[in-house]
Amino acid sequence: MLSATSGGRGSGLGFAMPAILLLLAFFVIPVAFLLMRSVTEPAPGLQNYATLLGSTTYAKIFFNTFFVAGVVTAITVLIAFPVAWALAIMPARWSAVIFAVILLSMWTNLLARTYAWMVLLQQTGLINRMLKAIGLIDQPLQLTNNLIGVTIGMVYIMLPFMILPLLGVIRKIDPAILQAAALCGATRAQALRRVLLPLAGPGLASGGLMVFVMSLGYFVTPSLLGGTANMMLAELIAQQVQSLVNWGMGGAAAFVLLVVTLGLYAVQLRFFDQAEAR
Amino acid sequence: MKKTMFALAVASALTAHAAMAEDMVFTSWGGTTQDAQAANWAQPFTEKTGTGVMQDGPTDYGKIKAMVEAGAVTWDVVDAEFDWALQAGKQGLLEPLDFTVIDKAKLDPRFVSDYAVGSFYYSFVLGWNPANFSDAQPATLADLFDTTKFPGKRTFYKWSAPGVIEAALLADGVAPDALYPLDLDRAFAKLDTIKSDIIWWEGGAQSQQLLASGEAPIGFFWNGRLAALQADGMRVGISWDQNITAADALVVPKGTAHKDAAMKFIAQATSAEGQAAFAAATGYAPVNLGSADLMDPAVRATLPDAQTAVQVNADMAYWAEHRDEIGNRWYAWQAQ
Repeated sequence: MLSATSGGRGSGLGFAMPAILLLLAFFVIPVAFLLMRSVTEPAPGLQNYATLLGSTTYAKIFFNTFFVAGVVTAITVLIAFPVAWALAIMPARWSAVIFAVILLSMWTNLLARTYAWMVLLQQTGLINRMLKAIGLIDQPLQLTNNLIGVTIGMVYIMLPFMILPLLGVIRKIDPAILQAAALCGATRAQALRRVLLPLAGPGLASGGLMVFVMSLGYFVTPSLLGGTANMMLAELIAQQVQSLVNWGMGGAAAFVLLVVTLGLYAVQLRFFDQAEAR
Repeated sequence: MKKTMFALAVASALTAHAAMAEDMVFTSWGGTTQDAQAANWAQPFTEKTGTGVMQDGPTDYGKIKAMVEAGAVTWDVVDAEFDWALQAGKQGLLEPLDFTVIDKAKLDPRFVSDYAVGSFYYSFVLGWNPANFSDAQPATLADLFDTTKFPGKRTFYKWSAPGVIEAALLADGVAPDALYPLDLDRAFAKLDTIKSDIIWWEGGAQSQQLLASGEAPIGFFWNGRLAALQADGMRVGISWDQNITAADALVVPKGTAHKDAAMKFIAQATSAEGQAAFAAATGYAPVNLGSADLMDPAVRATLPDAQTAVQVNADMAYWAEHRDEIGNRWYAWQAQ
């Protein structure tokens, strides 16, 4: 036992080596090159960053990116929490079926799912025709090529990433604690706010961060379901690199996105560690 | 251990190289266009020369630049937009074409340059879904920008490229021979008048979907995509009035290991037969002047080269010169 522990650290690193090498070769080094290009192209210096952070157009794209990611995360949490809670308390057989459905949707091709939403949401699509048929609307609603389309499409795609971590923590919560709260006179709302939510905190935090960070860098869904007025950072990067062949600017935008993401992750790590320690 | 790994890596690299030495790679935009290129250019080429052609895609300018700079070019012939090709040739990203192999005497001079020859040429045309307009049907580019007469969303090509800016200026009354240099202020002012009604299409399939579903009952399309909808039996309105031509180019990225095969492939692709067969399959026009005689007159009548009388040529050289400037402004305007 003792020898296993003492050798543990070294062999653990050994096991991690393939992953570390893979990341080094295919992530760290390319990112370093990209960073270099962002300060050397078209000329050495920080002009790319100055342009990126100084222009109102790009400021709007940054705002869009965080705004969309924020909205998507908030709505995802609101939907995922009751689902995770229901999954945790329903009979195991049922929860297994619903769980499988959630996973299945996650494994379906992203592009196919996004196209499906396009067909559902467009003005002549199923949703608008249904609403018209039951007399709720006269004119079709504009559900794609705008923020609504992006939000619907992305929330749907992000839900499993929120439900899974939430389910993990909620399943670990002893139902007796809630009974105890009720016995002590807590109303349902109080039990939710003062007992359940704090206990589910780590799951909310890790799921929320994952959804937020994934949303920040999302490309396919905003590009297909959104309009250019809600352009996000990933689309800007694609545009700069693929269409304008401006690696310098694309690299700068990618690097800013990376720094923001790592920063958020650092904040969450601290918060999460403290929550664990409690 | 490390040595074995290295030896293995070298061995696999060598065998991979040996297996690929015979083959070359052709990269295009995918979809029905690339299918037609594979069937009408690559297949006859392989039958004739024994050189296999692997299909890859989609074309990605960022990737080409990265490949050339890294000295690791895996694309031998690429189908690219003509204005980009002219610009890339100047920037040293492309091999000069070998006109002892490619017979340029037969090619439409509009689409020949040192580093690129036309792959095919197409027109941006006004298209609409007649089901959405009960009375008068649209006819001119001015109608495309007239949301009072023809209400509804309109769809335009999303990326910065020759076509939409020209259309805006023509719709605003600029004479075709006074288009260049492009008056960008005027073009964007015209586009501003319909901005909230624009849905952008990113690829041909999406443009077809938008029109067929009526999501955007009118728009500015690649002519081949409308021809394909008609071939599927859909009723589509097309106006060739002031159709704006643009072209794709065949280029060879600098440093390819299969330069000879690449040149021969381009010679095959731009031959009268290759161009005629491709045009018949796609509805795009041939760049080889000898192709017309080989084609069914009924098919020919549907192609852009039957519409030269009402045609406006986008100036590829102008675009190559101002590509970045226009592109930056275009995307900034879109995002506003």
